[in-house]
Amino acid sequence: MHLIRDVLDKKMVDREHCDMGRVCGLVMHVGESSQPRITHILIGGPTVWMRLHPALGRLSTRLAGMWGPRREGAVKIPWSRVETIGRDVKLDVEARDTGALDWEIWIAKHIIERIPGGGSEEAE
Amino acid sequence: MKKILQITLGIVTSIGGFLEIGSVMTAAQAGAEFGYQLLWALLLGTLCLIFLVEMSGRLAAVSRHTVVDAMRERFGFPFFFIVLVGIVLVAFMVLVAELGGIAYGMQILTGIGFPWWAIPISLTVWLLMWKGSFSLIENGASLLGLVTISFMVAAIRLRPEWSSVGSAMLPSMPHGDKARYGFLAVSILGASISPYLMYFYSSGAIEEKWDRTYLPINRFIAGFGMTFGGVLSMAVLIVAALALRPQGIQLDTFPQAALMLTTALPKYGFYFFALSMVFACFGAALEISLAIAYFFAQGFGWNWSQNLKPSKNARFAFVYTLIILLAGIPLVLGIDPIKVTMMSMALTSATLPIAIVPFLFLMNDPIFLGKHRNGWISNSVVAIVIVISFVLALISIPLEIAGA
Repeated sequence: MHLIRDVLDKKMVDREHCDMGRVCGLVMHVGESSQPRITHILIGGPTVWMRLHPALGRLSTRLAGMWGPRREGAVKIPWSRVETIGRDVKLDVEARDTGALDWEIWIAKHIIERIPGGGSEEAE
Repeated sequence: MKKILQITLGIVTSIGGFLEIGSVMTAAQAGAEFGYQLLWALLLGTLCLIFLVEMSGRLAAVSRHTVVDAMRERFGFPFFFIVLVGIVLVAFMVLVAELGGIAYGMQILTGIGFPWWAIPISLTVWLLMWKGSFSLIENGASLLGLVTISFMVAAIRLRPEWSSVGSAMLPSMPHGDKARYGFLAVSILGASISPYLMYFYSSGAIEEKWDRTYLPINRFIAGFGMTFGGVLSMAVLIVAALALRPQGIQLDTFPQAALMLTTALPKYGFYFFALSMVFACFGAALEISLAIAYFFAQGFGWNWSQNLKPSKNARFAFVYTLIILLAGIPLVLGIDPIKVTMMSMALTSATLPIAIVPFLFLMNDPIFLGKHRNGWISNSVVAIVIVISFVLALISIPLEIAGA
């Protein structure tokens, strides 16, 4: 597997095939005696903006702390949760429990549901 | 039977959805100022569009990726971000122009000034996006857009000299203002090869769950639909050349354009023009708003589907709500939609390389397309047209700005 080509920037779906965003970054553990291994997938604004410029990453973190769901740090998914890598990266998780949908839920609750006809984010 | 119906509907919607303020105004100005001489640019633009639309449908049907999905995956976020900024800025300008086109159409029909229409029109476009399904937006608006066939009727009734029309399909040097000629050629190419069409078309293919069995349908729709659409644009240019040029009208203002159809259709031409602008620009405004929302949602991996309730894809719905709201503001302030149209069409040409070159790489990538990769003919046609439009844009846009 080629990590940059086959994993980075691929779309992730949870066990119910709900879109969870794209793989924004990967955390690698490099031990002194063991082989390097991927430990986590990173999701979210600060990680992806950091790839453009570290200052943008810091700005994104600061803005996220002031407005929105106010999550501290990037969303991390353990690599052990990766089920398959094909067209999408399929994860054995519930998207809502990971924090990957925090912004989706926040915008739905604070903006979209308040407009008539917007529906309810929690309705089946 | 179902597929025959889909082909028919696809072709009909391509015809009804082809014309919008950009294609009408660029073709009309070209006809009014240079007669048939710029027909070659329409031919070239339509040819390139046929290939691009076919490619984006093929990519979706074979790889189950939209153009934006594939671009983000293949080129990564930093490159995707550059494309996002360029495409979204230009598409936003085009959206302002389309809303302006509807507003001007309403001004012609009612006599109420166009800035007053900006808010009701933006609200109507947004409401249809908020409540409507993908097929309602694609098919409904395009079927209403079939009123633009009145340009074809007018062109035939004006009895053009077909041999002159035929010889204008080959480029020739202008006798008059060369910079203006180049700028109009660039604007026509920009209006024909609008990248947002590719994003909209490939997203539609995914929304309608296309697979490889749809490849022949895709070829038919791209080939026939876009050809008929291109012929409609040519009809606009021919009508302008025969109805406006002899009177020395150069289309500086929108009400002048409304006179186009009155020579051929004296009784109803005025209303046909106004209705054509309202319906054609309405369809285009819906498509562009959706295309921008698709671009963000697919690029960042959010939930997206025009067939879901807004709260089920909140970020997607938020993007189109915000974009439509922002696009109404310049019109309320009274910005001239004709100037925005001409500049946005020329800028579309200038930004074509960042939209089309990575797309060509994708279309030659065996990971995405396997044996359905591009052949040398499609690669060459698209590459040549993109180079021509980019070079022309680089030369003529500064000259046009300096001239203005």
